[in-house]
Amino acid sequence: MANNKAVEILFVEDNPNDVELTIRAFKKHNLANRIYVVHDGAEALDFLFAQGDFGYRKDYENPKVVLLDLKLPKVDGLEVLRKIRAEEKTKLIPVVILTSSREECDIMESYRLGVNSYIVKPVDFDKFVHSVGDLGLYWLLLNQPPQE
Amino acid sequence: MTNPALATMLGYSSSADLTNLELSENNFLPTYPREQFLENIKREGVVRGLESAWKRKDGSEFYVRESARAIHDSAGNIIYFDGTVEDITERKHAEEQIRLLNIDLEKRVAQRTAELEAINKELNAFAYSVSHDLRAPLRAIDGFSKILEEDYLDRLDEEGKRLLTIIQGNTLAMGKLIDDLLAFSRVSRKEINLTEVDMNALVQGLISSFEHECHDRKIQFSLSDLPRANADSAMMKVVWQNLLSNAVKYTSTREIGIIEIHGVIGDNEVIYSIQDNGVGFDMKYKNKLFQVFQRLHRSDEFSGTGIGLALVQRIILKHSGSVWGEGEVNQGALFCFSLPISGGKFDGE
Repeated sequence: MANNKAVEILFVEDNPNDVELTIRAFKKHNLANRIYVVHDGAEALDFLFAQGDFGYRKDYENPKVVLLDLKLPKVDGLEVLRKIRAEEKTKLIPVVILTSSREECDIMESYRLGVNSYIVKPVDFDKFVHSVGDLGLYWLLLNQPPQE
Repeated sequence: MTNPALATMLGYSSSADLTNLELSENNFLPTYPREQFLENIKREGVVRGLESAWKRKDGSEFYVRESARAIHDSAGNIIYFDGTVEDITERKHAEEQIRLLNIDLEKRVAQRTAELEAINKELNAFAYSVSHDLRAPLRAIDGFSKILEEDYLDRLDEEGKRLLTIIQGNTLAMGKLIDDLLAFSRVSRKEINLTEVDMNALVQGLISSFEHECHDRKIQFSLSDLPRANADSAMMKVVWQNLLSNAVKYTSTREIGIIEIHGVIGDNEVIYSIQDNGVGFDMKYKNKLFQVFQRLHRSDEFSGTGIGLALVQRIILKHSGSVWGEGEVNQGALFCFSLPISGGKFDGE
């Protein structure tokens, strides 16, 4: 995992199986060393706003992209997204929602709150690995992040 | 003012009692619409159907409907009023009862609506949970069995690999089942949005996709001119998608698949049909055709979850139409559905 100064992808996911599968997929594309994982919405916000245990991140750069699951304990995905978009420090960070749900209401609400991309995790692992690869390459290599 | 009928109405024993009776003092209530009476007389010279509450001799109240005209002298001044008075007490009571019944009915409708909304909300929550929570473990099963395959490749024999393939196949099948169940529940929960649907364009679009997808097969689609429908276009797309998909699937064993689509306008309804030359089905089982997850063929013969026709039926029923199917083993199948023409909107195509 990234030494968290040079974090490029903040990955917010509470399900340890999904974490393992996703990291493995990133590894296949040589992108695993740029990921930092947090396991709930509260931790994600602490990380991004350099609060609580992450106080030392005060002057660090924002990640290039936040990979966000929707169903999270404590603070759920949409709430995290709302807070990210509400603060000057973080509002430009690209956020990609990576979730099981294909429900219309989730998709609409996410875009309404300003998500940059919404991806449904397929059940098929091969397809999943493929999507993650596309995702990683796009947001880390092709896409231009906002300048700090 | 010596009318016996009026005497009875007002509760006096004889019309003699009415002489010198000043109605406005004795029998009108404070609520008497005096201004409106005078206003009407001034404007039109008559009063028609003015309803008000009056008082009888014994003080009891009753409802009256009066019509009157002003009688003028030669100088144009009003001398007196001449008219008719009708006791409408019974009607007024009936109206009041209806009003109270309506209020009660409204209350009950509101209650029932609230109950239904609660149930719908529960169903939405259920579908939401299914969407999120059932898919995650499936993903894990498929993912980790693939990791097992990859990382332990050298330690797995053919049999081991076969077993893993079965695990993976089943997880994907379950994933598809979840998708189908969700689609089914979504249709049931959704409100119909009726518009005029160009069935020709819709079906033609789907046929083009199928032709593209099945470029390696020989399929002859024949689409005759379809009448327009008064329906929810997104739902119609699902209906045709499923019917066409079935026709394409069950003709896959034929060298040339022949699929014909027709539409005809009947009395108050439009009927669409799709005929194929595929493997057909045994009419003995026709009751199972539209049931959820019921199939008439083995899954190793033809893949599928058995939800397609159930979904079609659900949609057509929502439109107050009907759907039916006929077939013969190895002689193909014919599926038809009808949609009501609403209010004579279409004269025909």
